[in-house]
Amino acid sequence: MYAWKCWRETRGRFIFLLTLFVAIALLVTLIPGLKERNGWWYFDRSEFTHDPALMARLVSLMVLSGLWGSGLLSAVFLGATSSGSEIEPGTIEYLWTRPRTRTSMTWTHWGVCLMEILIVAIVPAYLAAALLGTLTRNWNVPLLLVAPWMMVIVGLPMLGLTTLMTALRRSASGGLLYTAGVVSVYVIVRQIAIGPLHLQLPTLFAGPVVWLMNNHQPYAVAFPWGSFWRAVFLAAAFPLAAQYLLKRAEV
Amino acid sequence: MSEAAIFTEGLSKSFGAQVAVSELSLKIQPGAVYGFLGRNGAGKTTTMRMLLGLVRPTKGSARVLGLDPARETELMRILERVGFVPQRKQLYGWATPAELVRINRGFFPRWSDNAAARLAQRLEIPMKTAFKKLSIGNQSKVALLLALAQEAEVLILDEPTAGLDPVMVDEILRTLIEDHVSQGRTIFVSSHHLGEVEQICDWVGILEEGRLLLESRLEEIRQEFRLVIASGEGLPVAQSSDVVSATSDGRFRRYVVAREAERFAAELRNQGATILEITPLGLRELFLHLVRKEDPCTPGNAGAKPEAVSSFS
Repeated sequence: MYAWKCWRETRGRFIFLLTLFVAIALLVTLIPGLKERNGWWYFDRSEFTHDPALMARLVSLMVLSGLWGSGLLSAVFLGATSSGSEIEPGTIEYLWTRPRTRTSMTWTHWGVCLMEILIVAIVPAYLAAALLGTLTRNWNVPLLLVAPWMMVIVGLPMLGLTTLMTALRRSASGGLLYTAGVVSVYVIVRQIAIGPLHLQLPTLFAGPVVWLMNNHQPYAVAFPWGSFWRAVFLAAAFPLAAQYLLKRAEV
Repeated sequence: MSEAAIFTEGLSKSFGAQVAVSELSLKIQPGAVYGFLGRNGAGKTTTMRMLLGLVRPTKGSARVLGLDPARETELMRILERVGFVPQRKQLYGWATPAELVRINRGFFPRWSDNAAARLAQRLEIPMKTAFKKLSIGNQSKVALLLALAQEAEVLILDEPTAGLDPVMVDEILRTLIEDHVSQGRTIFVSSHHLGEVEQICDWVGILEEGRLLLESRLEEIRQEFRLVIASGEGLPVAQSSDVVSATSDGRFRRYVVAREAERFAAELRNQGATILEITPLGLRELFLHLVRKEDPCTPGNAGAKPEAVSSFS
């Protein structure tokens, strides 16, 4: 029942994000075929069939440029609905007097959000892959098939971070604000380190997506396992910290 | 003797320097309807929150149905068997009462859909309107429905009728009596409406500044408690075990006496006092005498200064 409540509470955001990214994916896939003649727009499929392999590669990259933030964005917006967000509005008194442990509530919410992030990441990319395959008759679109999983991998630390910040701030808006603050500070510090200080820093946890976007042939360059494991570590550490905070919280 | 439904021993809670509850010891028997009274900020809500694991005690211990709310596994078993209406009846604004019933149903093994439907009809709750669009009264009714349809062994109700009109208050009290009191379930209710408490409770506890001033059967208050008003010089300012409160008003002293008021009056006469009145006390009068702060004399009285207390020999 708590899972249903989490779903009911997040479904508005979920449907919005899914619709947004599906629209982006389909539109970007179709863009190369859109032509204008005498003020009228029409669709020219031949654009996709001249060089199907090149087109598949090109459109895949274009689609991924539009979708790469789907994991991060959905993670942030869904993470802000975790049980910590109920403290300030006062519904937490109701929630925490239901016979479920706060730990189970934290992880149930996390699980529901994970499923939603997976769907938001997978459905648009796979729809784009299906459309692109149909248009080019070339079904070799590994980028679009692998990308969603990378997006989820980098999305999960953000889901955890937002869950933690929401528990810290005890409200959804406070959680979002703190998450934005932490990410901004991290980006600024990283830019200072890379720019003026000339330090060579590996990406913290976005390596898999960077690897995917910069590789002309997926699997050709070594997978950034360090970044991957950091993502896995942060994906687990942030919600664990949130769980610890919520378990000790008094309301 | 069977195990107490609610038991606390030396239960205390401080928020920094602010003492919310101090050395509270309660023993509420199964089947009792216990009115927990006190002014705003007396510590009633904090006590209830400690019983439900929402707040951790600074000192002392609590048991609900023999289980310790400080232990998570036991707390879960408590929450399965206790219905709670919080003071702030804040539920999910996006949810309709029907959806709240759906959410709640899965949590409680004894949940009754029949009871929920009956209560919805009886309390005239619009089940398909979003919670945020309901009036405050209807929001309170939804909170009550969710607690009552749990078929809980113990109900902890924190000002359950706040914001309700008299007709609904009466309906809810009748529901509590018919569905819960008659079935021997325990109710621990805080309220500022003393008339309601008198209507359904058999026990009352009066809390002030975190301390329990008085705990008694309501019947005993009606039958035994008396207000003794005396005038005279050099009257005692306190205290025998039977005097629960003494206040001073110029030459007059008002004593709230728990039992044997005539004997107490006789002792005052022996000390030269003139007894002006010995009157039975209702709950309202008793409450006001105990918690109002005008010139208190006894430590049982809120704001009393210990140095002002002398022994009644």
